[in-house]
Amino acid sequence: MGTTVEVYLYAPSSVRAAALLEAAFAEVERVEAALSNYRPTSELSRINAAAATAPVTTDPEVFGLIARALDYSRRSEGAFDITVGPLVKAWGFFDGAGRYPSDDELADARARSGWRQVDLDETTRRVRFLAPGLELDLGAIGKGWALDCAAATLRRNGVRAALLSAGQSTYYAIGAPPHERGWPIHVTDPQDTTRTLSTALLRDQALSTSGTGEQSFELGGQRYSHIVDPRTGQPVAGMAQVTVTAPTATDSDALATAIFVLGPERATELIRGPPAGAALLVMEASGEGRVLALDWPERVARLSR
Amino acid sequence: MMKRREFVTASAAAVGSSLLGLEALAETFSRRATAPSDEIHVGVIGVGSRGKSMMRQFLRLPGVKVTALCDVYEPRFGEGREITGEQTPVFRDYRRMLDDARDLDAVIVATPLGYHAEHMVASLQRGLHVYGEKAIGLTVDDCNAIVRAARASGSWFQTGLQYRYAPYYRQAIERIEAGEIGRPTHIYAYWHRNYNWRRPVPDPSLERLINWRLYREYSGGLLAELGSHQIDVANWIFGATPESVIGNGAITFYDDGRETFDNVQTVFTYPNGGTLVFSSLIGNHKVGYQINIYGTGGTVELTLEDGAFYYEPARPNSAVPRELVERGVHTTATLATRGDMPYRGPGLPIELPPEEAGDPSFLASVAFINCIANDQRPFADERVGWRSAVAVALGVEAARRHSRIDFADHVGTSVEG
Repeated sequence: MGTTVEVYLYAPSSVRAAALLEAAFAEVERVEAALSNYRPTSELSRINAAAATAPVTTDPEVFGLIARALDYSRRSEGAFDITVGPLVKAWGFFDGAGRYPSDDELADARARSGWRQVDLDETTRRVRFLAPGLELDLGAIGKGWALDCAAATLRRNGVRAALLSAGQSTYYAIGAPPHERGWPIHVTDPQDTTRTLSTALLRDQALSTSGTGEQSFELGGQRYSHIVDPRTGQPVAGMAQVTVTAPTATDSDALATAIFVLGPERATELIRGPPAGAALLVMEASGEGRVLALDWPERVARLSR
Repeated sequence: MMKRREFVTASAAAVGSSLLGLEALAETFSRRATAPSDEIHVGVIGVGSRGKSMMRQFLRLPGVKVTALCDVYEPRFGEGREITGEQTPVFRDYRRMLDDARDLDAVIVATPLGYHAEHMVASLQRGLHVYGEKAIGLTVDDCNAIVRAARASGSWFQTGLQYRYAPYYRQAIERIEAGEIGRPTHIYAYWHRNYNWRRPVPDPSLERLINWRLYREYSGGLLAELGSHQIDVANWIFGATPESVIGNGAITFYDDGRETFDNVQTVFTYPNGGTLVFSSLIGNHKVGYQINIYGTGGTVELTLEDGAFYYEPARPNSAVPRELVERGVHTTATLATRGDMPYRGPGLPIELPPEEAGDPSFLASVAFINCIANDQRPFADERVGWRSAVAVALGVEAARRHSRIDFADHVGTSVEG
């Protein structure tokens, strides 16, 4: 994941807190060990290595997560796609700043991606790739899933108020701090991160943010994000940041990425669910209409630009 | 249960050589009709942390179904079913499960250590194949009972010493056996962590059930829980069970009512001159998990996920051993001639072709199912389990007494043969 996970919780004693935190982190480690692309021993790496050769049986959790991801692909018409890895690599985003891929490199990357090339057999829990070179990357929803699992562990152990964060881009809130309406998460303006656009008060809810200013780059005078549109093979331009709230962190992660790619017109339908959520979109633009709120329940700061 | 003996296939040879064995396994199952009776049904006794983890591994194998769950703590039923994704039959009494569960072929035993013998023996006596978590038993008597039951049973026993299936370990030990580090004489192994080893307990009445690792009635403490693998690696390299152990231990960090030590130090000696120094503590994390194998010609460092070789430097005023030169072993980039600290740097990493990388627990699961399907003795069988668990049991005793124990006084004619 390459992310720092933080957990804040309320507990009756520090000994109990230590045991609870340990249990939460153990869950995060477990999910990471199963889903990380960076570990050759992960279950996901095992699937990636073999599924083009023959169907690979996997356990219900991993199978279910892949199925859920493909379902998001279906509903977002491919804007969300866990097979987008080769395209991301073609644009050089894995290592650094970005570079234009050649037409051949792009064509090759497109041939080796596409959610429709993943075939799932639900009865046997088998995953099959219909093209060689396909690669599943669950990074987009893996953080959310890890937080959802860790939160479930905390809830099972009686925790009533906690905030979990993965890289400060995905949050899950259990309950609210005592006497508060929710856990406050400040959504900042990507053009000026000292400025808060809106403060979400999370209670038994998740929040994810896609795209941040530092991760954008410029090529040929155009500003691009690091997020590739799986449908076109091009990095998304024109969108600076998308923040989504949803019932689970897996959903908020998927929706934030999907909406970033889809853009405002198609986003409304997606955010209405199921599951229903809310979104705050910040465009790469200036003036009125730079910030768009979709069913967003909190106040959004008016911007002078 | 006995019907599994009909499962002998032509791929047995392939399974023997292929570490993964998955292709062979898939082949075995695909050649049969996918009727439910051809599946291998696995029950789980002890649906705690390790039980759940092993269940997930087994659920990644074609033709394997988890068909029964047993635990004395009811919340585990829901947790287990979440993993199987089904309304798997659940039992509170393992005897009921062994009696009632339909068509069980094998059982994973992952209960607290104090119960291992009872659960494993009962399962073996029913003719079920058993995946018995490490250490196989808490006491020497427990270990003897399990080996006897495994011998008398018509089924296979594999113990949860999954590093026997870890590709890095296998390669390292093959190379050590080929003489690459000269004569291995000492192993210094550590598992150091920094946390209190407590699990969250919803109600004080559940303290001994959930935190069983802290109580002597059920647990061998750090040596059993964190030392079993490394003691097994030493047994593997030295090709024997230890003949003596000196132990020490204390509660230094967490004086919270626990009975098992939070730091333990042991020195095991082997016939033919090997020595294992094993240390575990839970108040400092610098060292983590390390196995350092010292040979007269070099060193191997193994961690949980990788390893490296180092070669002893040639000193300008001493002869270079002939064998080292003839094998063309190169001194690595680690060597800077700094007097008494010649090794700084990464060493020669053990490299594996990508297709051989694999999670050791997963590979152990594949191997177990292959043994059942092809009627083959597991590599990490009851004898391997016995050697590690007996060393642990006597190490625990030595640590409690802060003294030395001779194995001969406690094991007599070695049961494991």
